[in-house]
Amino acid sequence: MSCRTLPASRVHRASRQSSGCAPHPAALPGQAWPGSPFHASSRQGLCRALLIGLAALAIGFTSTAHGIEANAALTAAPVWESRAAASPYEAGQGTTRNHSRQDLELRLREGGFNAQATLRWQTAEGGKPEHHGFANQAYVDGDLGGGLGFTVGKKVLSWGVGFGFRPLDVVQRENRRDVAPPALVGLPLLALERFSADTAWTLAWVRPGHGAGANDSRDSSLAFHGYRLVDGDDVHAVARLSHRRGVELGLGATRVVGEEWSFHGAALYQRRYAKTRNTLAENGGLLAASDPMLATPQRHGLKAVAGAQWTSGPWSLLTEAWYDADAYSRAEWQRLDALTARQRDLAGVAPASAIAGNVAWSSQAYRADNLLRENLLLRLAHDTGDGVKAHAELLLTPTDGGRVVTLGVSHEGDRQRLSLGLRQLGGKPDSAYAQSPLRRIAWIEWRWALF
Amino acid sequence: MFKPLLILATLFSFPAIAAEDVTAMLKKADSYRLPEGSSRVETVVELYRDGQLDKERRYTVYIKPGRRSLVLMKSAAESGQKLLMLADQFWLLMPDTQRPLRITPSQKLLGEASSGDIASMTWAEDYDGTVVGELPCPPKPAALAHGAEDGPRSCLRLDLTATRSGVTYSRIELLLERAGKLPVKADLYVQSGKRAKEAWFETGRANGQLRIMAMSLVDDIQPGRLTRVRYQRIVAREAPDEFFNPAALVRNSLAGW
Repeated sequence: MSCRTLPASRVHRASRQSSGCAPHPAALPGQAWPGSPFHASSRQGLCRALLIGLAALAIGFTSTAHGIEANAALTAAPVWESRAAASPYEAGQGTTRNHSRQDLELRLREGGFNAQATLRWQTAEGGKPEHHGFANQAYVDGDLGGGLGFTVGKKVLSWGVGFGFRPLDVVQRENRRDVAPPALVGLPLLALERFSADTAWTLAWVRPGHGAGANDSRDSSLAFHGYRLVDGDDVHAVARLSHRRGVELGLGATRVVGEEWSFHGAALYQRRYAKTRNTLAENGGLLAASDPMLATPQRHGLKAVAGAQWTSGPWSLLTEAWYDADAYSRAEWQRLDALTARQRDLAGVAPASAIAGNVAWSSQAYRADNLLRENLLLRLAHDTGDGVKAHAELLLTPTDGGRVVTLGVSHEGDRQRLSLGLRQLGGKPDSAYAQSPLRRIAWIEWRWALF
Repeated sequence: MFKPLLILATLFSFPAIAAEDVTAMLKKADSYRLPEGSSRVETVVELYRDGQLDKERRYTVYIKPGRRSLVLMKSAAESGQKLLMLADQFWLLMPDTQRPLRITPSQKLLGEASSGDIASMTWAEDYDGTVVGELPCPPKPAALAHGAEDGPRSCLRLDLTATRSGVTYSRIELLLERAGKLPVKADLYVQSGKRAKEAWFETGRANGQLRIMAMSLVDDIQPGRLTRVRYQRIVAREAPDEFFNPAALVRNSLAGW
């Protein structure tokens, strides 16, 4: 069975450790990992990582004299997860792991050259501490004259509109619901760009020559983003051609009304998409000997988001609704719930390990960015204007009555920022969120800007 | 002994002053803050709390005619952030997302150092009003007095109202030195009608010219807070129009400008 690597902070992906795989808590698509030149899990590796860190600091302290813009920051982000022992998707393997990520991040800018690298030391309950280094970004922006430019290298390319979900983010595909997310990791690309006063477009060849990949971020693609400022409105258009998705086409816009209101909306059509389903839930089987979660090809997918934000004084209120065809429908969850219940009923009849393994496979459904297609987000935020910010979020899945409540507060000092957060999953007992193996997640993120 | 004379002079000369063109006065006052239409301004913002320096932030601001400003955050804690202002439209770029975020004028006011106080350095394009009086120029509060005060001066009081949407302050009561139209003090009011800040201007000489070197903002809403905006260096720069495109914020092409 192959084990995919996934970000730790995706709280929906509660069962990632209970799948029998042990994806590393902070491994991200595109970053270096075991086998990469920077990976270090030994004392020698630690020394190498420290040397790289010291070199980074030396660059930082000497960069001013050479006209290089350099910044470095330390981040520590411990996360505590509380599991739901009564969840039907809890495989009971004792895999609950609190984890912590410590990053030393360095950014360099010199002319059109940009680089961002991270040295990461991470610990997970029940696992050995590990450390490794990787480049988040390393690219060159060049000008060809007449507003035309190019980009070569590894770069973060984020497009579109939306707060909790961005359908037009067809290249980076950032999960906007992560907690204490690490810095994004870019993708290798060649891009041609053109900018005028109110129009811009980018044509990017992402992962050139790579061919079909195992997931969207590993798939070679040709992507286009157009932007135009039309009577004060931001208008975005995207198009992407890839092996996995075929053609994707999208439009989005943001309008600001008066001093306090803004409205945004976007929609993306996908010629192809794939949904990972448990084949047993579809064909009436009971137990599988190998992973029954298979990607099922689908056609004509839609992703859409619409939202409004009101800001007055220190208060800000956001409401946003989105639809994600990649996610399960209520009926698909009900079929998976029924299968899991049937498997649990086999206790005493079938081997416990077979039942636990099958439940763990099914729980991979919690790895999705969105658990259900239809989502509604309400977010109230307060900014004291004195470095203290607080927010409360309520994510609802109206079709099954699920909910996720998130509370957060942060304080920013001269060079340090401290953020605290708490997220609780719940809702109607048979909703996807209420049945999640993950019940609660708490985190702290401390960031210290060195220079 | 000069005050009674100043008051008498005020009473007799006010009608003539009122007839003066307020826009011309504001343009003259603006010239002390921003001598060139297209400029690059190196700005340091010091945030004081109860008299103690709490935070320091550095910005490079590119300003072009037509109410266009591009603010690059340079401090370690904010490095990579950019704010673009095109008239009454605003975009923010956070380095972690690499995606320009459209924000409302109200959101622009959030945070510790209002970006409007940094990005906007002129009044003539945004405000109109009348001269409502003449008075002796008030002395700076003790906390803001740096060195010896000038001798008694006469000030004009202008009541200014925003002529455009999206400006940081909807109304300003501005005191200009009568003779040279040098900004002395401003009371800054937000849309609700409440006074948000009191601004005091510090003068000095740069390249032999009289200039506003700093602006101190006393916060009415959060007592004990003082923000000092220092204009370290102002140079004429005509940055290309495409740099002021929201989608171009993600590019790093401002080196050398």
